[in-house]
Amino acid sequence: MKATKRMSALTAAVLLTTALSACGSSDDSTSKESTSTEGSTTTTKQETVKLDFWAALDPSTDEGKNIQAKVKEFDDAHADIDVNLQVISYDVMHDKLVAAINAGDTPDLSWGLSEWFGELNNMDALADLTPYVDKWADKGNIYPNVMEALTIDGKVKALPNYLGIRALLYHEDILKAAGLTEPPKTWDELIAAGATIKEKTGKEAFGIAGAGVRSPQELIMYLAQNGLTLADKQADGKYKNTWQDNPDQLAKAAEVFKFYQDLLSSKTIKADAKTWGWEEEDQNFVLAQYAMVVDGMWIEGRSSENPDGMKDVKVAAPPSKATPATFMEIAPLYVYKSEHPDQAWELASFLLGADYQQVVNPGKSARSDQQVDSGWGKDFMALAEQGVVFPAVSLGGITKAMEDSLARAMLKNDSPEDVAKWLSGAINDSLKKTGELSAS
Amino acid sequence: MRQLELERPTKIKRKFGMTLREKRIKRVAYLFVLPAVLFFLAMNAYPLVTVLWDSFQYKNLMNKALSGWAGLANYTEVIHNEYFRKALWNTVVWTVLSVAGEYVLGLISAFALNQKIKGRTVFRAIIIVPWVVPIVVAGLTWTWMLTPDYGIINLWLVKLHILDEPVYWLGELDTALLTVVFVNIWRSFPFFTISLLAGLQSVSRDIVEAAAIDGAGVRKRFFYIVLPQLKTVSLTMIFIHVIWTAINFDFIWVMTEGGPLYSSETLPIMIYRYAMQDYNFGNASALASLMLGFMMACFVIYYMMTVKKNRR
Repeated sequence: MKATKRMSALTAAVLLTTALSACGSSDDSTSKESTSTEGSTTTTKQETVKLDFWAALDPSTDEGKNIQAKVKEFDDAHADIDVNLQVISYDVMHDKLVAAINAGDTPDLSWGLSEWFGELNNMDALADLTPYVDKWADKGNIYPNVMEALTIDGKVKALPNYLGIRALLYHEDILKAAGLTEPPKTWDELIAAGATIKEKTGKEAFGIAGAGVRSPQELIMYLAQNGLTLADKQADGKYKNTWQDNPDQLAKAAEVFKFYQDLLSSKTIKADAKTWGWEEEDQNFVLAQYAMVVDGMWIEGRSSENPDGMKDVKVAAPPSKATPATFMEIAPLYVYKSEHPDQAWELASFLLGADYQQVVNPGKSARSDQQVDSGWGKDFMALAEQGVVFPAVSLGGITKAMEDSLARAMLKNDSPEDVAKWLSGAINDSLKKTGELSAS
Repeated sequence: MRQLELERPTKIKRKFGMTLREKRIKRVAYLFVLPAVLFFLAMNAYPLVTVLWDSFQYKNLMNKALSGWAGLANYTEVIHNEYFRKALWNTVVWTVLSVAGEYVLGLISAFALNQKIKGRTVFRAIIIVPWVVPIVVAGLTWTWMLTPDYGIINLWLVKLHILDEPVYWLGELDTALLTVVFVNIWRSFPFFTISLLAGLQSVSRDIVEAAAIDGAGVRKRFFYIVLPQLKTVSLTMIFIHVIWTAINFDFIWVMTEGGPLYSSETLPIMIYRYAMQDYNFGNASALASLMLGFMMACFVIYYMMTVKKNRR
């Protein structure tokens, strides 16, 4: 009986210890093993700093493999740093980051989307990189407007991982079949080309993302082309959408929504494009189901899905209204507040170095000294100076409101003026919820 | 003497409460119950109480500056949300139409499979297939089949001249919710079929045949003999499915994510948005508590009505 009790107690203790060990966090300081020569292997333990690095790379692609190889190269070259590279898709990473920040268990570095910049800063999770950047020899090689976009109140809060500039991609053969020698340069030319292309080829002229993460990226571009911003910084350091304070701005915003409605009514876009996400937009363009789209350089990587149909694709500036503008996605490299800022900067500066950027990001690097002289990369990077970015505020509610505004314009057929007013109010409501709305 | 012997244990019990053996049995019983109690406290009671507590707190992961006691502010904010009424109405439509459709289709198919037809066993096996397909697989497959450009449904409807041109069933404000309801009925009716079929097999053939001999037609036999005997199984099934459907999240999320423009958004989808997209756990908890309240109120009213009816 006593023996049974002892065994039960022992089993319970073992189970409890195992469970508690599984729940416990790992120590940041680990040991790196090194081997000696002369036949016998001895192990010398050296205290190292473990850096958690979350990246949304695709390990099945050449790019993904290059990144992993480069990170390993860094790891091998630094005896005092052990990089723990975790592959996490963008879809999952945002949720994990928010949870990790609130739990006080952030990684040291991570990839991320530009849309998260404001909210991560608002959550006080990002390290101030200004002292490091000021001493960095390569500082001058980063595009100034890119660094500016990642600077808040004079402090550098993120680094540019790569650039995703948007350009007009067009199937030259479809345009030629419709008798057009060059792509449209303005919104009016695009609408006019829509009717011609539909009549001559039976295909639609243009593609949009009416829903999903890409729809706000396209909408901000059209707003910028009409001289508008989503939210401006006010004297108190907070932000506000000012369209409703300024009838001229409200009218310009209404013009943007009228443009979307015109695209639909003139059949320049497919009827169901009003609810397309980026998947449908890209897929239909790759299959040459329509003639033109404002899209990123990644489309080149999908040419293999329809090699013949993609041979004729050319790159131009997006059609615009008052001001030439395109959406510039600065995919940031976030460096978080941690106990190892020096080591985190060591890795971050390696990832932004000329060698890494040349291997991993040819044609989409934020370094001005790493640009390619030919092909799509050159055409895309030529648009870098007219790139616009989201304001540095929490964007979750704002991008959702932007998506909803397109649905109101194209699905509900609300008047463009009403949609513009609604979006202006929704942006300010969102800013209020996150404590970023200016009182002015 | 015999009387004394019988009385002694009672007296000992009264004096000391319980015998040592009884005490030991009771302690062992508590030990056996303990894991279940701990599990219930950790997995049910604690989260439920936390949700209720959080619904009265400001709890937004994106705005930590605002925290503390919120009173009824979260409830007010949720109820005044532009899309709250729409989501509430959608939840009612989604639940009522789904359960009604599943019941009617389940009843018809159960009757068909209760007849002596050739290959009845095969049909009974086949009909369960939609129910065993995982929801995500079923949802994505139907989404693909309903696509306007290359979906087989639109292709057939256009070829059969039922439609002039393809319709974006999941992308239009007035068709999205009804389309998901249809797919949900398709997936869930086999569960009704199997359960009602079991019920039908317990209906006495003698009574049905006697009624037929007495001149009762098919309709009378169905409504006055068969259906009353299916009452218990029907009510149980309907009750379970009302709960399952009202709180269902995955089917709608997989097919429409509540869109377009919230036209297929139900309360569970709204709770998810508050929690996992806005990270506003105060609002999410308030809406979850409200939904719990709605469901409990419905069932308490039903229970009271049933008790009252039974007393009569």
